Amino acid sequence: MTEYGHTTADSFQYRSPAHQKKSFLLITLAFLASVFVSFAVQAEDAPNAPNALCTGCHTEDGNSTTPEFPKLAGLDAAYIAKQIKDFKKDKRVSEIMGPMANQIPDKDIGFLADYFSKQKRTTGIVTDAKLAAQGQQIFDDGIVNSAVPACSGCHGEKGEGTDKFPRLAGQHTVYLITQMNNFKNSTRNNDARKVMRAITLRMTEQDMKAAAEYITSLKGE
Amino acid sequence: MRALLIFALALLPAYSVLADTPATAPTFGSKGYVWNKLSAERIEVLRKNADAVRGQEAFRGCRGCHKQDAFGRVDGTYPRLTGQYASVIIKQLTDIRAGVRLNPKMEPFISPDAVTVEEIADIAVFLANATTVKENGKGPGDQVRQGEIVYVQRGCNKCHGDHGEGNGEKLYPALSAQHYSYLLREMEMIRTGARGNSHPDMVAALRDISTSDMEALSDYLARLPDRRQVVAHK
Repeated sequence: MTEYGHTTADSFQYRSPAHQKKSFLLITLAFLASVFVSFAVQAEDAPNAPNALCTGCHTEDGNSTTPEFPKLAGLDAAYIAKQIKDFKKDKRVSEIMGPMANQIPDKDIGFLADYFSKQKRTTGIVTDAKLAAQGQQIFDDGIVNSAVPACSGCHGEKGEGTDKFPRLAGQHTVYLITQMNNFKNSTRNNDARKVMRAITLRMTEQDMKAAAEYITSLKGE
Repeated sequence: MRALLIFALALLPAYSVLADTPATAPTFGSKGYVWNKLSAERIEVLRKNADAVRGQEAFRGCRGCHKQDAFGRVDGTYPRLTGQYASVIIKQLTDIRAGVRLNPKMEPFISPDAVTVEEIADIAVFLANATTVKENGKGPGDQVRQGEIVYVQRGCNKCHGDHGEGNGEKLYPALSAQHYSYLLREMEMIRTGARGNSHPDMVAALRDISTSDMEALSDYLARLPDRRQVVAHK
């Protein structure tokens, strides 16, 4: 198990080693949101706004302010729906999101995906301009020596994404780096056609940090 | 594009007919190697109704290296695929998948996980019709005349045409307007057998060539226009 990787979705009964305090806090936050929601939501009707199960971590406009939680705003609706379904079926494994996704009724997935896809993605802040410049090189042109393709090839020149390749622009650097590492060690393996796993195997930690630093500055338009 | 089947049938004589497909296809220099073996997968590709619009979308997964208009890189790291014959693209892609053309950089992105059989057909017709306004990577330019002489002396023109336009029906790639450094690198790989899927005559034609003559050939070919401009002028 790595700093980033979690291999079981059902271990919600958290046994806390001291060095995983941060993870504990995140899970607690997520758990409180879910408890609140399971009391609050019993209605049979289709929702007209996402409830606290989602907004507790991702916020109402889908621009999470916690760097470990991804921004959902502006992701393609089909992409969001696929991820929720993958979490429910354990095709994408997360200690935090797995139990959350299991509380989303299938009939609500379409609405939630549509709602968050229509929110406007905020842009992140670059703290290391030199690192971001390295990242731009990787994003626009790839890394020739290690045969890493340019991120822009699939994710779009401005990181805007498609229904199959997620919008990256403005995403939290912490989340981006975590996901790249998860692909690299195959903890996350729901990428289309195994391509992200192949690419990240060719990337160093420094490459990932640089790419993330640039990506967070993109507006996606 | 729906006429690909007919197009494919027209190509059949270019392949040698195979009896069965071994688990691992032999590469150049090993026993049983046939440069244009009509593998089961290639037959499957040729039977698809290819569609260039779908091909453009499927090519999205290739753009990270080969770029939006399939132009590759001027430094020759990645070839210019713009306008290459569909038949040539299909042969090369299926050869890389089968491990006959050795290309570890590309392998994960053309594996059956990454690209379907239908997408190979779609990508091939998309590339054959793709255009670009960008200038390909050129050589020094002082070897063009020498390159032209070597091109005829070694009989390159007999297969690749008087203008480097190649021959799609026979699976001979267009060489004109290709990046200089890519031409040079691939010639070296063909010469040593490292490319894995070469025509034996091609390897023989390059076996005793000098580096300076390969440079001259590349200089010449990189300055020839895209094959479709040659055909238009004929």
